[in-house]
Amino acid sequence: MGSKPKHKPVAKPVSEQILRRAKEYGFSDRQLAHLWRSTESTVRQLRLNLGVVPVFKTVDTCAAEFEAFTPYHYSTYERENESHVSSRKKVMILGGGPNRIGQGIEFDYCCVHGVMALKEEGVEALMVNCNPETVSTDYDVVDKLYFEPLTLEDVLNICDHEQPYGVIISFGGQTPLKLAKPLEKHGVRILGTSPEGIDLAEDRERFGSLLQQLGIPHPEFGTAYSVDDAVRAAESIGFPVLVRPSYVLGGRAMEICYNREAVQTYMKKAVDVSPEHPVLIDRFLEDAFEFDVDAVCDGKDVLIGGVMEHIEEAGIHSGDSSCVIPPYMISAANIEIIKRHAVKLAHALNVIGLINIQFAMKDDVVYVLEVNPRASRTVPFVSKATGIPLAKIAAKVMIGRTLEDLGVKDFDFRTVKHISVKESVFPFSKFPKAPIFLGPEMRSTGEVMGISPEFGGAVAKAQISAGNALPVEGRLFISVNNSDKNDITLKIVRDYVRLGFSIVATEGTARFLRENGIESDRVFKVNEGRPNVVDLVKNGEIQVVINTPLGEESRYDEYAIGWAAIQHKIPFMTTLSASAAAVRAIEAQRSESLQVRSLQEYQKEPL
Amino acid sequence: MPKRTDITSILIIGSGPIVIGQACEFDYSGTQACRVLREEGYRIILVNSNPATIMTDPDLADATYVEPITPHFVEKIIEKERPDVILPTMGGQTALNTAVALAESGVLEKYGVELIGAKLEAIKKAEDRELFQRAMDRIGLATARGGFVRSRDEAVKIAAAIGFPIIIRPSFTLGGTGGGIAYNFEEFEEKVEHGLSSSPIHEVLIEESVIGWKEYELEVMRDLKDNVVIICSIENFDPMGVHTGDSITVAPAQTLSDKEYQHMRDAARKVIREIGVETGGSNIQFAVNPDNGRMIVIEMNPRVSRSSALASKATGFPIAKMAAKLAVGYTLDEIPNDITKQTPASFEPTIDYCVVKIPRWDFEKFKGVDDTLGVQMKSVGEVMAIGRTFKESLQKALRSLEQGYGGLGADGKDLVDVRSLSADQLPEWKKRVVDRLRMPKPLNVLYLRYALQLGLTIEDLFEITKVDRWFLHNLKQIVDFEEELRTYSLS
Repeated sequence: MGSKPKHKPVAKPVSEQILRRAKEYGFSDRQLAHLWRSTESTVRQLRLNLGVVPVFKTVDTCAAEFEAFTPYHYSTYERENESHVSSRKKVMILGGGPNRIGQGIEFDYCCVHGVMALKEEGVEALMVNCNPETVSTDYDVVDKLYFEPLTLEDVLNICDHEQPYGVIISFGGQTPLKLAKPLEKHGVRILGTSPEGIDLAEDRERFGSLLQQLGIPHPEFGTAYSVDDAVRAAESIGFPVLVRPSYVLGGRAMEICYNREAVQTYMKKAVDVSPEHPVLIDRFLEDAFEFDVDAVCDGKDVLIGGVMEHIEEAGIHSGDSSCVIPPYMISAANIEIIKRHAVKLAHALNVIGLINIQFAMKDDVVYVLEVNPRASRTVPFVSKATGIPLAKIAAKVMIGRTLEDLGVKDFDFRTVKHISVKESVFPFSKFPKAPIFLGPEMRSTGEVMGISPEFGGAVAKAQISAGNALPVEGRLFISVNNSDKNDITLKIVRDYVRLGFSIVATEGTARFLRENGIESDRVFKVNEGRPNVVDLVKNGEIQVVINTPLGEESRYDEYAIGWAAIQHKIPFMTTLSASAAAVRAIEAQRSESLQVRSLQEYQKEPL
Repeated sequence: MPKRTDITSILIIGSGPIVIGQACEFDYSGTQACRVLREEGYRIILVNSNPATIMTDPDLADATYVEPITPHFVEKIIEKERPDVILPTMGGQTALNTAVALAESGVLEKYGVELIGAKLEAIKKAEDRELFQRAMDRIGLATARGGFVRSRDEAVKIAAAIGFPIIIRPSFTLGGTGGGIAYNFEEFEEKVEHGLSSSPIHEVLIEESVIGWKEYELEVMRDLKDNVVIICSIENFDPMGVHTGDSITVAPAQTLSDKEYQHMRDAARKVIREIGVETGGSNIQFAVNPDNGRMIVIEMNPRVSRSSALASKATGFPIAKMAAKLAVGYTLDEIPNDITKQTPASFEPTIDYCVVKIPRWDFEKFKGVDDTLGVQMKSVGEVMAIGRTFKESLQKALRSLEQGYGGLGADGKDLVDVRSLSADQLPEWKKRVVDRLRMPKPLNVLYLRYALQLGLTIEDLFEITKVDRWFLHNLKQIVDFEEELRTYSLS
């Protein structure tokens, strides 16, 4: 600051008055702890001792001129408290906070279902959230709404005031999850799976030995505290490996490395590794199929809501890949194995409520990749696909109901016959210059669902809803990397030819196709001359693009093609499995059989 | 007027997937509409392709279609369900565009379906910028100078007449997709081309820049008896040039004199009447020149919007729910206010607290992307906080963001501890902070704190950022008080 005192004056002791003023200025306990070189809990204790506690005001539309009946509150530091505490049994649900990539509306859906379930059970549902866009912050939906930050300080203040029977932290995604342990430490009862169980699932070493104990296969993994460590671990696991920092979730800064140089580069540039923040290294199951399961456990029985199959192969974040219910490329025996593993895991982690498990299948072996004993992003999709409201059931289980008395114990997801496809929606059109290839880091903002009696129809509808409607005729541009110059590609291209598409390809791909008896027009890559593929896209001479990523050297080319496709709203596929699914969709669109049917009809008259 | 009895079924169109610029606020509005209209006894038919929404819960409508929201599929639903009316104002731009397409292609006429909430003519007048400008001219309200073009050559001609910087806004896109600000000719050409290809009708508006002006929004409702109420005024902390969705916003407006506010209020009433939204909510945006008070109308959304969700949460007045009731014939004086039960909805809300909204961005997921904020929205979410003063609400909102902030700095996450800088380090840091503040970037408010700590004055900061002095004074009060707090100790 401008005029610094020459010598430090003696610090004054904190008084009730100064603390109160700090609070009126909005300072948090955490800031005060920082300013006074103390801890948040010390500040909190002092605040309680001095009686500096918030009051809760009512949002009343009329500046207190008329009596307000709506239980919609916010905290402030004044004298009169307007939030009257009832004598009913109360359960508090912590919401998801601001939407961001990786944590969106799905968690709001789960929270609202939690509220509905509590109300149905005659329990007063208290909601805490700070996101104004949501349904969970509609005071009409909840019994009582606290529009407050989801920090330990603010949530504890509400707990002090309301004294709820318990708090549900497993519906709002990462935000409330982080509060589980600190809240428990302050004597707040956490409903559902214990924070200990949630922790166990996230602690690699302990979880790894649990899987071993249960006899469930998982990809080999290691933990590294230095660059050398990482290389050693990767080499003993075997390439390719998936590397990521341990302290962030949602796939941030994850990478797939095919050799030791890549691991070294990643370790040097991507993370600052330390004993508190090691780097996790997993064997990456290349070309594996991935599956997601959402289930509810009441401590005794397990309700499997459904098994979803990812359409893209392993390596793409589960929040970004498209998926289908019921799974379409797995044997009944492997579905049984998935089911058995899910039940075992739910019991081993003492799950009460929701659990999400990610599986991978490679060479007919089912591996467990990850377990999260909490609401997942896919809960609403599974619930809409099957008609079983998982989040609602989970909330009821958390307050003591059983799957048996809720009448859902024997639900068999295999009885659902219609096909539901979920497709992700990306913001690339808003971000020129962003890399557009999918990977282990999630970047989609939202999702759509297509429902149809047939797989192709469901994919077609999902693509239309996502704004990538597939063409029924025209010209396919294809450029695949060397490992994709295989029978699968040939089959896909033959299918497009059969459907009447003409084919344009880059030199290498064209040669590969020619060697296998498929004619195509060769087109220049961007740096080979003109007219090149981007010119064709811009001139509307290409209707669909298949471009599997080739690696660093041709990134510029791929980016140019992808960006041109996005700007001209041309379907752009970067994996063979998505390209194959698109063939089925185009077939469905050509047969003009895409009918509309309501969820109520699907439930009343199953196919 | 009592509710309409000549209709029995209503088709509500949702907003589809969550994208930047169209998020779960439309789940909130759509869910309210479904619930309230069902309570009124109508048969509700719903279409939305987004499975993560509450509104697509099978319990909320009589027939829930998780199907693509395109004219083709919505026509199939109309053909099958034969709704009497369509309510297109709850599902953002997606729903509105779909309804317009169905109206213009004759589908609505073919099946005898009426648009409620907003008529086609009103939608077009509000959404087509040329018609909108003409309408504003008619009622004597100023708009930014500029014109519509469909080609590069036309764009260049207008640009020559207004001079740089120039705003480029594609017609009929959502969240300002494809729009931008150009400071030179090269940027201008690039952005016009991008804008033309983003617009479904290949049209862009080339407009005089009002960057640096103060920006306001009013949430307005009107009924069939021509009652008009202003639900909420919202002031942008960030001046014009930053999309509202990317601005810190404050409700109620803090820096208008009563006279200025009444002037804006009168203008809003004129706008909603002239555009002809007969039943429902609209959002009207204004810009005010801080040097001379000149006010212009920026745009109007003839539907519920992200801002109306915010205004509903800020005031407790459920705009979507009321808009749905107005759409079926009720008038504002007939609907009781949810909160007081005894006052009618025609009482304008009054609030005795301050609300602050801060957007949340996720740029770390998109390497290489420019994080400068402009007329195209880039944030992916937002938080809101309520407190008795702007200072309290701002700090609460910052800690709600969950990006590790405990408030306005002083939380162990500071980029620099200004107090520990040596005299020769100060100029370098001053330059760094000022350079940053010259461009609108996410959470510049934290840099305003550093700037104040570094000794920049409120006048300096106003010149650099055009953030209103009132807000800067408040930040200064927080900064000064932080300094005072440091003179205390716990032991």
